Amino acid sequence: MSENPSPVFQRALIALAGGPSDARIVKLVAELARPIKADITAVHVVEVAWSQPLDADIAGRSESAQQILDQAEATAEHAKVRLEPVLLQAREVGAALVDEAIERAADLLVLGLPYRKRFGGDFAIGRTIPYVLKNAPCAVWVVREPITEETM
Amino acid sequence: MFVLVVGGGKVGYYLAKELIENSHEVVLMEKDRDRAAQIADEIGSIVVAHDGCEGKYLGEAGCARADIVAAVTGDDEDNLVICQMAKRHFDVPRTIARVNNPKNEALFRHLGVDEIISPTRMILGSIEQDIPVHELLHLAALGEGELEIIEAHLQDGSPAIGRAAGDLTMPVGCSLFAVVRDGIASPLLPDMRLRVGDKVIAIGPSECSVKLHEQLIGAVDVEASPTV
Repeated sequence: MSENPSPVFQRALIALAGGPSDARIVKLVAELARPIKADITAVHVVEVAWSQPLDADIAGRSESAQQILDQAEATAEHAKVRLEPVLLQAREVGAALVDEAIERAADLLVLGLPYRKRFGGDFAIGRTIPYVLKNAPCAVWVVREPITEETM
Repeated sequence: MFVLVVGGGKVGYYLAKELIENSHEVVLMEKDRDRAAQIADEIGSIVVAHDGCEGKYLGEAGCARADIVAAVTGDDEDNLVICQMAKRHFDVPRTIARVNNPKNEALFRHLGVDEIISPTRMILGSIEQDIPVHELLHLAALGEGELEIIEAHLQDGSPAIGRAAGDLTMPVGCSLFAVVRDGIASPLLPDMRLRVGDKVIAIGPSECSVKLHEQLIGAVDVEASPTV
């Protein structure tokens, strides 16, 4: 085995869902990116229902979307790494993330998998993660939250 | 243009694909989840995996802002319901329905579907053109379907043979306007005498078929129903 197991990536794309996993994955990628001076882009995708046109002004007016990006930026800043925040709106999050990864030639796409307390609690994988795992051309990391007494 | 396609069979699939290739915004509704997932895999995230016969889901699929709704499922009943909801409830400017049973065409028109596509009738028309028949051949529907272009192939025994076109008694609203003789089309003038082998082209309401048949082919055989 290699002495230095640090993963090599140059352009990482972080998917921000607006949950508790965001800070964890931003911190993780920032720590890994700092020594190798890799670029980090954090993307939050606002899904637009088919009942509205794709270019409807939704994401721009969403305070919560802006907050999600601001928090990610703050976390990266704290880790002394620069992060580019990107706000997108799309019909489906998974497809938007894959498109963005291709467009930016990202070599790593990182998603969080939060623990959901509803319905007895589980790690509901949803639609986005399987889509990204199936379609992203780059490496994909899915970071699952630890199960602690707090999350239970 | 935003087009809502309902029905993810072969027709819906290729229709959506072509529309996307022509840079239109498309959403496709398919109630079978497996089929919906398969289409999404192949042509992208444009599939709503719900039943288009339910108004709630039509609304979610963006029916209210659709320029065109094309109902192309394999069920005429579903296609009719979808087009009616699109037209009456969501004010969609143009509705197009696939009609599998040609006998349902009149009902679709009566209930306000803007455009009707009947693959069965198209194939039937194509077959009839290649087979010498003594009946009338319905070539095309015009406008909202109240008028049809009809062809009569004159055979031995036709009461029109040897008579001038102007001497034939045409049903009200029906007129003969062209003749194809020896492969050459020309306007049918009132003094032109009709011959065996002529193909006479008429335009008129579909109800005039029986009278037209009597004048150009011969008395209608009550045992055999006229061509649809």
